[in-house]
Amino acid sequence: MNLPLSLGQSRYWIYQRDLLYELVSRNIKIRYKGSILGILWSLIYSVAQARVFGFLFRSGLGDGIPNFPAYVFIGILVWTWIQSALTAGSESITSSSDLIRKPGFPAIILPAVTVATSLIDFLIALPVLLAFLIYGGTPLTSLLLLVPFLLAVQFLFTLSLVYILATFQVTFRDTKHIVTVVLRLGFFLTPIFYDAARMIPEHYQWLYRLNPIVHLLEVYRAIILLGELPDPMSMFILCGLTAILLPFGYKLFVNAKYRFLEEL
Amino acid sequence: MRDMIVVNNLGKRFRRYLADRPKRLKDVFIRGVSRLKPIDYFWALRNVSFTVAPGLAVGIVGHNGSGKSTLLNLVGDVLQPDEGQVEVHGRMSALLSLGAGFHPDLTGREIVFVNGVITGFTRQEIKRKFDSIIDFAELEEFVESPIRTYSTGMRMRLAFAIAIHMEPEILLIDEVLAVGDAAFRQKCIDRINQFKKEGRTILIVSHTSDQIQKLCDEVIWLQHGQVVERGDPEETILRYLADMNKNPAARPGTSSGLAPLPPSGQAQSQAARNRPHSSKLKLVEVRLLDQNAAPISEINSGDPLNVEIEYLVSEPVKKPIFRVAISREDNVLCYATTTVAAGLSISSATGPGKIRLQLDRLDLNGGQYYVDVGIHEHNWSYAYDYHWRLYPLSVRSHTNGRGILHLPHNWVLNDRSTADAGDSDMNEALQ
Repeated sequence: MNLPLSLGQSRYWIYQRDLLYELVSRNIKIRYKGSILGILWSLIYSVAQARVFGFLFRSGLGDGIPNFPAYVFIGILVWTWIQSALTAGSESITSSSDLIRKPGFPAIILPAVTVATSLIDFLIALPVLLAFLIYGGTPLTSLLLLVPFLLAVQFLFTLSLVYILATFQVTFRDTKHIVTVVLRLGFFLTPIFYDAARMIPEHYQWLYRLNPIVHLLEVYRAIILLGELPDPMSMFILCGLTAILLPFGYKLFVNAKYRFLEEL
Repeated sequence: MRDMIVVNNLGKRFRRYLADRPKRLKDVFIRGVSRLKPIDYFWALRNVSFTVAPGLAVGIVGHNGSGKSTLLNLVGDVLQPDEGQVEVHGRMSALLSLGAGFHPDLTGREIVFVNGVITGFTRQEIKRKFDSIIDFAELEEFVESPIRTYSTGMRMRLAFAIAIHMEPEILLIDEVLAVGDAAFRQKCIDRINQFKKEGRTILIVSHTSDQIQKLCDEVIWLQHGQVVERGDPEETILRYLADMNKNPAARPGTSSGLAPLPPSGQAQSQAARNRPHSSKLKLVEVRLLDQNAAPISEINSGDPLNVEIEYLVSEPVKKPIFRVAISREDNVLCYATTTVAAGLSISSATGPGKIRLQLDRLDLNGGQYYVDVGIHEHNWSYAYDYHWRLYPLSVRSHTNGRGILHLPHNWVLNDRSTADAGDSDMNEALQ
């Protein structure tokens, strides 16, 4: 029974879109109300972080990596999206009990709202990334048109994790803390400011590459920095993993949906 | 015509857990998985069946914990039944969880859009109805202010205005009409009445019965998760009130076992005149008298008051209990006393009788009060007759104290230098 939505399919999708739009813009507004630079803050943070890493490691870790500042910036953008989506997303149900209680409110949209909110920061940073590329002398190729596709893959991949984490958080309130710790570790176990091929010993590579975000970063960098088609194996792992995790997370979430109100 | 709501053999079971059920994964590792399991279950609602025809307004009454809200949540598909089914045929909206999505930093305009989509509008629909919503909420001047500057009443008005513009075929309401000032409440009730006229179906949950009586065509009385009866609002509510009255100790949330909790709201005449529940013993007339036995409806604080009760016994009953209660306009019970408390045992032969309660001083603060009178069975299990909110009494007091009581008082100053000045005040207070 979808309460306000029984007016037909087209209204249903318009409604879902509007709901996503309003809830995301609410999150953004709340976050930046009263700050002078508003939404630019998240961009400033990413740029500063990328500049710091780029400066610290310009010789050493950055040796032999063409356009190292852009390399780091891509790493930070992709990572920040995942990190903020997972931390905010694991609380997407527990922090919205007023919405969960509302008859007819599709709770299933809440995880998507947090992933989309973090995507906004990513999108705002894209022009700056372009500046990094041009300034660093990286040629812009038509392969850049594949970036939206990568965004979609990352969106769905992150969303499936958020479904799982948000469901867990309802029963186990320390899920978010565990996520924070794992992400802190993951920041260093992911080639954000170094080149995995050179830094990780050969016989640990297989273990290292179990981290799907390693593949995600490689794909982004291949397309944006190298102007090459990504490694098919990495693409396959990402898409395959998402194809398994998304239905699983969705199902887990939907099955637990009625339990939310009882446990909140 | 097809019924709008079909509830069939509905049951909802809640789990009870150990008090130290792990709330963190950490605890699960320390204390084990077995503590995650519920220790037992209780049925919040069971064997509930009813249907609601189109255009009907149905009220659900019951004590706290009787399963009213659970029922509404099941109909609203927020909870999942453990037994039976709920079918809803039509576009539904709920005046539940009204302030959802409100954030203090957002402006009124932003809130209308956020709360609007949460309520079920598309953005296009909100744009169309925006002016009408703001107009209904009477917030034209505040649209661009952040709602942290709004009063609670203004926020409720805004939330209600949005919800009421949903134009659903089925409207679920949970107690929300208890908020806002009287004028706005009336506006909401008018709007709901208009909904009814338009043939929409309404399901209202409340423990205050006056709204239900005003709005509903039928009432369902729930107790311990089961339907006690369904019927005409007036009669069902009377029996529900009488039941509350007869078994007050069982009601959660009341410390005093004797205070009945009559419905709140404005003075009602006909509806509240509880008809005799039995023809055995009946209240014939109740008079409020001053010390000279003259009928009064106004009294000075501290004056004596006599409550004269005339009754008629048609069949001899064993030791009936008379009870007189004084409650303030807003239903705060100020005083209640009974014939048992006074150790009085009344043997009643058939025929008319008269009993009088003399209150030597009525030390109440100024304001509007009601005197309620009831006759109960000797073990409180039954109310023979009960008159509630039929006898208004307004109390005047010269000094404006706070609280319920106006106690005889005076201030005594020990400070020598101002003692003279204080004297005249003291004398005044002593008068």
